[in-house]
Amino acid sequence: MASVSPSWYYQDGGLRRVVCADGVITNKFFTRNLKIQFGVPFPPSSSSKSRSYTTSPLKKTHLPLRIKCEKNDKEEEEDSYKDVTIERAPYYSYMDSTSGQMEPASGARASIPSEEYWPEGTSSRVRAARAPEPSGVSTGKPSFGKNPGSRRKKYKSSASASQTNLVVNDQAESEYSLDESKNGASEFVVYQTEPEEEEVAGYDLDKKIGNPHSFIDPKAKIPMDEPLTSEELWWNWRKPEKEQWSRWQRRRPDVETVFLKAMAETGQVKLYGDQPTLTECALFRARRHIYKEERLQDEFDKLEEIGPIAYYSEWVEAWKEKDTSREAVQRHFEETGEDENTQLLEMFMLQTDREYRIMMGTDNRIRRDPLAMRMREDQIKQIWGGDPVYPTVNYIQDPDEVIDYRGPDFHEPTPNMLDYLKEHGKIITRDELEKVLSKEKTEVLEMADIDDAMARAVDIGENDDEGEESEAEDDTNEKATRNWSVVKNNAELIKTKEKAKKDSMSLEEAVDDSENLTDFLLDFEEDD
Amino acid sequence: MSISVLNPPASCILNHHHQLHKFNASPLPPISISVCKCRIRSAVMVADETSSSLDSSPISTSTFPLFHPSLPPEPTPATQLEPADPDFYKIGYVRSMRAYGIEFREGPDGFGVYASKDIEALRRARVIMEIPLELMLTISQKLPWMFFPDIIPVGHPIFDIINSTNPETDWDLRMACLLLYAFDCKGNFWQLYGDFLPGPDECTSFLLATEEDLLELQDKELASTLREQQRRALEFWEKNWHSAVPLKVKRLAPEPERFMWALSIAQSRCIDKQIRIGALVQDSNMLVPYADMLNHSFEPNCFFHWRFKDRMLEVMINAGKKIKKGDEMTVDYMDGKMNNLFMQRYGFSSPVNPWDVIQFSGNARVHLDSFLSVFNISGLPEDYYHNSKLSYDDDRFVDGAVIAAARTTPTWSDGDIPLIPSLERKAVKELQEECQQMLAGFSTTVDQDQKILESIPEATRTHEAAIKYRLHRKLFIEKVIQALDIYQERILF
Repeated sequence: MASVSPSWYYQDGGLRRVVCADGVITNKFFTRNLKIQFGVPFPPSSSSKSRSYTTSPLKKTHLPLRIKCEKNDKEEEEDSYKDVTIERAPYYSYMDSTSGQMEPASGARASIPSEEYWPEGTSSRVRAARAPEPSGVSTGKPSFGKNPGSRRKKYKSSASASQTNLVVNDQAESEYSLDESKNGASEFVVYQTEPEEEEVAGYDLDKKIGNPHSFIDPKAKIPMDEPLTSEELWWNWRKPEKEQWSRWQRRRPDVETVFLKAMAETGQVKLYGDQPTLTECALFRARRHIYKEERLQDEFDKLEEIGPIAYYSEWVEAWKEKDTSREAVQRHFEETGEDENTQLLEMFMLQTDREYRIMMGTDNRIRRDPLAMRMREDQIKQIWGGDPVYPTVNYIQDPDEVIDYRGPDFHEPTPNMLDYLKEHGKIITRDELEKVLSKEKTEVLEMADIDDAMARAVDIGENDDEGEESEAEDDTNEKATRNWSVVKNNAELIKTKEKAKKDSMSLEEAVDDSENLTDFLLDFEEDD
Repeated sequence: MSISVLNPPASCILNHHHQLHKFNASPLPPISISVCKCRIRSAVMVADETSSSLDSSPISTSTFPLFHPSLPPEPTPATQLEPADPDFYKIGYVRSMRAYGIEFREGPDGFGVYASKDIEALRRARVIMEIPLELMLTISQKLPWMFFPDIIPVGHPIFDIINSTNPETDWDLRMACLLLYAFDCKGNFWQLYGDFLPGPDECTSFLLATEEDLLELQDKELASTLREQQRRALEFWEKNWHSAVPLKVKRLAPEPERFMWALSIAQSRCIDKQIRIGALVQDSNMLVPYADMLNHSFEPNCFFHWRFKDRMLEVMINAGKKIKKGDEMTVDYMDGKMNNLFMQRYGFSSPVNPWDVIQFSGNARVHLDSFLSVFNISGLPEDYYHNSKLSYDDDRFVDGAVIAAARTTPTWSDGDIPLIPSLERKAVKELQEECQQMLAGFSTTVDQDQKILESIPEATRTHEAAIKYRLHRKLFIEKVIQALDIYQERILF
């Protein structure tokens, strides 16, 4: 019974089985899941409740899961047992109060849509994928186009099937022999239809199995020529360095390239040219990684093997002479009751600072990488740069040095600006300026020499003769200024006045002389 | 299709049965036992299955190479047959061909496709097989000839041979060349599939027939057509496979027989279909691996459908067709063609070809409507079918031959003018006489033919097919006579 998976009757009548991954259900599982099954032997005599497992699931049977509710001695009573049914959650999705949306009950992804919702072509693909693979092994062999119909079952009609079979066989054989002979004559190419079994040995065997082997089959190895220099190598093209005013402007080389080049120079590694190629760099990188991994693994193994105290005592000078094997540690423990950790702590108490730094590998002052130390100055500088403070020799300064900054476009010394400007006439001296200014100012000053008194004099008409003239002049002047419609300049005004004074002209001459009729406008007193 | 076991002309029917019995005794002894059972139970419904199976067996046992073998009497037609070699489906399955709910079985008459489970009649056609384009050999029918899949490299001399064929008529020659090349192409599926094709000895196509087989046909026109075809094939071979031809071509068909065989395969197994590949729609001839194992029936179950999305040829069951386990899946090869055309192309014939034609001379005419109503044939002249809903008792008599009779006998139909029984009887008598004359025109009778078939132990397939051809013809004529008899009796209703 332990091998039968328990089948439970769900309340909805479905029969569900518990799937057990390993197929073996222990009794413990059984009892745990079936609760009191074993505890209560159901007597076959109880006819009132007949538990027959053969009843159809649709009937409401006494389900085999009961929980004992009370601990009392009366068994087989209805009260002390509670029938339990394993029900599935009645919902597949519910409205989640947290998110406010419908959520699936199981918490898994939403159900996969049914076939109606699949994109086109999916159903045919699914059907093709679901089609069962043909089982069965064939007895015949394919002839690959040579004997069509060879794998059909050869039936021949009628009772003399055996005869015909013989005939057929003979024919087949004769055909076969014919074919063979024909093969010899006309078939120049015979295809190999079955794979031949070959024995592999040596290098091929190693390669096939996975034993460590050299890269190249030693039987097939062709000795290499002398490697070409970088210039000769056809793949070794380099971008020409652009015109840069400093060597520091070129791209920094890769760490691995420089390392590899350094290693090649010291002879640890053989390169094909003098510059390592990408492949070689990659190979170097891979090897380095693997070696590092191997070393780490070795260290780890060593730690596991010899124990922590022995391992770490390498970096504790004071513990060196003590016996650090596991047995010794065990003995010490037995003697003093200090277990391994305590002993380890004691050991580390004796470790010095320097030793600690060495152990942790964090001290810059301690030389770590011998190869890096062995590289040349310029190689180191290629990778790590130089001293951050004085990166190059150029930066070291001689205090007495006279530095000449003259470059290719070094120009003539700056001329005396003043003289230059003076020559080109952009500047004049103060004196000249004053001269020029004074020339300009004299005209203005002449104007200002007019007697103020005279300028301000207003003719009030005391002198009649002269006054009339001046009056007339003034009047006409005033008139002219007042009558803006009559725009005349003084010169014309003066001219006409002179003409008017002469009185010697005839009418025609006067008309001709006048500008327009307004010349004949007599002087009407405004007072009138 | 059904043969009705009618009571009145019992002798005829029993005779018929007897013929069939004799007929089937030749292929497999076990069947005779079952046929005896069948005869006893002739009145029972079950007989219909067996008789129908027997009936359809003449189609199949006419040794068409693709054929399903003779049918077992008990539950399914399929149980008699052995399942095909498991590799047959496996080589296709591996190349993503799929068969759903069917199995391939093999019998004395060749391969057949049978249902492995009951299939409900659905509104939709269901797919039973899908074959990807890569397994097929396809050539477009019109220039430029495109090959799918394109296995012929441009420089290959077979390409020139194909180019030299006549675009209108030589589709089968092209197909044969392609097939031969595919057999030679390393890694091609046809190298594996070719083992399941009928070999030269099993093939019933008359390209491989001898003169005496052609004479056995007793049909001069057909014989001459077939001779013409043979000559054409031979000429083509000689032209293109002469001795100086490069080895690449030469090894494809070192003997003319191989070429003829390939040509017969190409002719008989080619499907003409208009397919769409990408945006290109073209008529093409396709040699499709598993779909060509379907046999022919005049009332087919299945049809071919091209699915252009993933370029698969699907064999689909006709919608509304209920299929029981063990039923054979059949396709209509050529629609509306006579037996001689079937013989010419496929190498088989059928006594129940509803498109068979008898050339009646004379003026005797039969009233069409009453003839059709006697046999409950309904439908338009292109599509006569037996309407079984109209008949009260299960009519086993009406089959394709009767339908052909309805088509070929000269008939008159003039609106509502009723028939005059006496005139009708006279006409019927005349027609029957003509038929008898035709039968007499043959050199052997039906019985003799059947005896011959039984007696020859190791008839070649073509020989058998030839004899069966004329046998079927005679059966057809006899059936016409019978039908006319029945008609005569039933005129006065």
